[in-house]
Amino acid sequence: MSSTLTELDGGADPVAESSSERPPAWPHRHLLDTDVLTWPQIELVLDTADVMAQIVARRRPRSEALRGIGVTNLFYEASTRTRVSFEVAAKHLSADVVNVSVTGSSIEKGESLLDTMRTLESLGARVLVMRHATSGAPYLVARDFRGSVVNAGDGRHAHPTQALLDLYTLRRHLPGASLRGRKVVILGDVLHSRVARSNLWTLTAAGADVWLCGPSTLLRGFEGWAAAGVGGERRFTVTSDVAAALRDADAVMALRLQQERMAAGLLPSLHEYAARFGLTAERLGLAREGCLVLHPGPMNEGVEIAPEVATGAQSRVTEQVANGVAIRMAVLSLVTSVSLRDEA
Amino acid sequence: MTAVTGSRAASDIGRAVDLDLSGAWLVDPATRRQGPGDLVVRDGRVVSIAWLEGDEANGIDARGVVVASGFVDLHAHLREPGNEAAETIASGLAAAAHGGFTAVCAMPNTTPPIDRAAMVDAARAAAVVSGSPVRLLQVGAATAGRAGEQLAALGELADAGVVGFSDDGSPIQRPDLLRNALAYAGMLGLPVIDHPEDLDQTSGAEANDGLVATVLGLRGWPAAAEASAVARDIEILVEVGHDVPAARLHLTHLSTAASIEHVRHAKAAGLAVTCDVTPHHLALTDEWIAGSRRWSWQALDDAGRSRDPWRDGVLEAEPYDGSLRVNPPLRSAVDARACLEGLRDGTVDAIASDHAPHTQVDKDVEFGLARPGIAGIETALGLVLEAVDAGLLPLDRAIEALTTGPARALGRFSPPGLVEGAVADLVVFDRAARWMPDAGSLLTRGWGGPLRGRSLAGRVLLTIAGGRLAFEDAAPA
Repeated sequence: MSSTLTELDGGADPVAESSSERPPAWPHRHLLDTDVLTWPQIELVLDTADVMAQIVARRRPRSEALRGIGVTNLFYEASTRTRVSFEVAAKHLSADVVNVSVTGSSIEKGESLLDTMRTLESLGARVLVMRHATSGAPYLVARDFRGSVVNAGDGRHAHPTQALLDLYTLRRHLPGASLRGRKVVILGDVLHSRVARSNLWTLTAAGADVWLCGPSTLLRGFEGWAAAGVGGERRFTVTSDVAAALRDADAVMALRLQQERMAAGLLPSLHEYAARFGLTAERLGLAREGCLVLHPGPMNEGVEIAPEVATGAQSRVTEQVANGVAIRMAVLSLVTSVSLRDEA
Repeated sequence: MTAVTGSRAASDIGRAVDLDLSGAWLVDPATRRQGPGDLVVRDGRVVSIAWLEGDEANGIDARGVVVASGFVDLHAHLREPGNEAAETIASGLAAAAHGGFTAVCAMPNTTPPIDRAAMVDAARAAAVVSGSPVRLLQVGAATAGRAGEQLAALGELADAGVVGFSDDGSPIQRPDLLRNALAYAGMLGLPVIDHPEDLDQTSGAEANDGLVATVLGLRGWPAAAEASAVARDIEILVEVGHDVPAARLHLTHLSTAASIEHVRHAKAAGLAVTCDVTPHHLALTDEWIAGSRRWSWQALDDAGRSRDPWRDGVLEAEPYDGSLRVNPPLRSAVDARACLEGLRDGTVDAIASDHAPHTQVDKDVEFGLARPGIAGIETALGLVLEAVDAGLLPLDRAIEALTTGPARALGRFSPPGLVEGAVADLVVFDRAARWMPDAGSLLTRGWGGPLRGRSLAGRVLLTIAGGRLAFEDAAPA
């Protein structure tokens, strides 16, 4: 288990170092959302990702950490970038990677999610990386799966590795690597966004001043959550006033807007959305100088983000993609450190 | 001390009962009398009831063994014909008896739906063959094939003995058809039982629109989708009532504070409207989907607002348990309190189980794909008694809502009550004995259930329906 990381040259072994203490630094066999992570656990992921980033930076990026370990990417929704990111991460760790794409729901196929899981388990999957259109689906699988489940996005609910890579990216560019008191704006279709929900947990845990901004129809329910606070205590702000949100912001994360929001009657038109809520250079001018621009991708350039902002000097979008690999390597090695220990 | 004598075996189900019960707490909702007493049943008839006073009554209170009239369930799904893997009439009636029910209204949303007299006869025959003495009260479909396009054969169904008409599982969506169903059913002397839901507001909905749905990323199911349907139904009843004074509307499984308030106003205006709530909407809340397992009344703050389960640190179970997916969805603690208040003040006439069993294949799946429904006919009494134990509902009022309340809502049917000379139709349960709903104790074929493996108040010891044995606990206290 922790031998996995000791093989990484130049890097400490965060798991081994802290495993002598109580409670264990990393107790999670699965990563289903960021809500269960304490701040020290979040830092452990980020620190581990630093070590992984050094491996990725090598000419021949390869660690033996997960040699012989079956990692199966089980994707019920099409997603090239997240799937490839997990695949690359697992391969860098020498895992045996299998990709399973299921189009249409399991119900239509007549095969239940739990049946599929048991089949993949019998075929040697020790880690299931799961993308599913239904919120909560990975919890059902994690209930019965003997290995580790990593949530690669479930419905509107969670996308924990995305939130962690966002945090990782922000931290690298903020003075003192700290988000404490920094104003971070999540702009766009918050209602349907698993990225926004997972980021709420991590960003507020990091002490950031989080603002959610978008049209009122796409903020449904979030005023109530803001009043309650994240985890019942950590405050954030909800507004449809883009100028107020962006003013003096340290970072802004634009969210993808799906075409079907118009058909559902949530918005009048893409054009109106872009005009009122699109992240343009002019609006970005309201933010602090050097305000970081993030987007979980794929971007609709000209809708939620203007092309010159998407590729501009403040954009960290391609860096997010690169950091995603390091974060996913970190998550894969941390969760397997628990499941392999349980196996042993 | 309470004594129950007369030993019976499982093979005695359906046999006429002899029973000697001394020193129990008797609750007779028909006469609104309750107190310590002795009860003797011979050959299925109540031959004597002695209300105890003075020294004889010492040490007997309502916290031990209780005898009440048999319960009447206004709302259950027995799944036969069409989905016998989830439940049959036989297994459903057995489960009902275990829950203390001696009469069960079966909803007609079977496959095919019960919209013709021959199907009513077939259901009744299956009940006879089952050997269970629990009365099957069949509800007929309100519209042909439950398709919501034209009236079902209401007169023919009435002649076959249905107790009301409903498209339950769905609302009667077209207002003109609801109007006609109310008028025609009124002419036949029967109620229309509506499942109030504005489907345009609930398309794809997964959980009550509130903090839990927002945090868990579940598609919101607005309270307004129910309350606006309730308001519509009542407005239509007002007008139908001018032409057909006998028209009666029963609103089933109300779950929101606003719905209860609409009915309160309608009753104050003298309208012929009745309603029921389910045990799970009284005791459980949407918090359970996030992993909380506290009762609804424990989820309210001093100001009467819903508490935050994350702040309170009460999330103990895994989230997204498909057994909690139900229509209408589990609501907020504020809504549950309004349902309890409606029961106390008489706005709510009945507690109905909305027993909705499903197979594992339909239930042990992704939360949003799980078929809605809780198989709750056996845990109904337990949940109600939890509310009684918490001081939120007087015992006699709870019993009324399980007996005379539903009987009144049906109109033509009345339970015999605890009366000397009458056929015995009663339930004996021990409030002091807790029990564990699980595969070993439950008789429903339905899979899972949010209360499995959790201790519940009030063990049913004996159920007698129409003088005959319907259920007896294998290991009486």
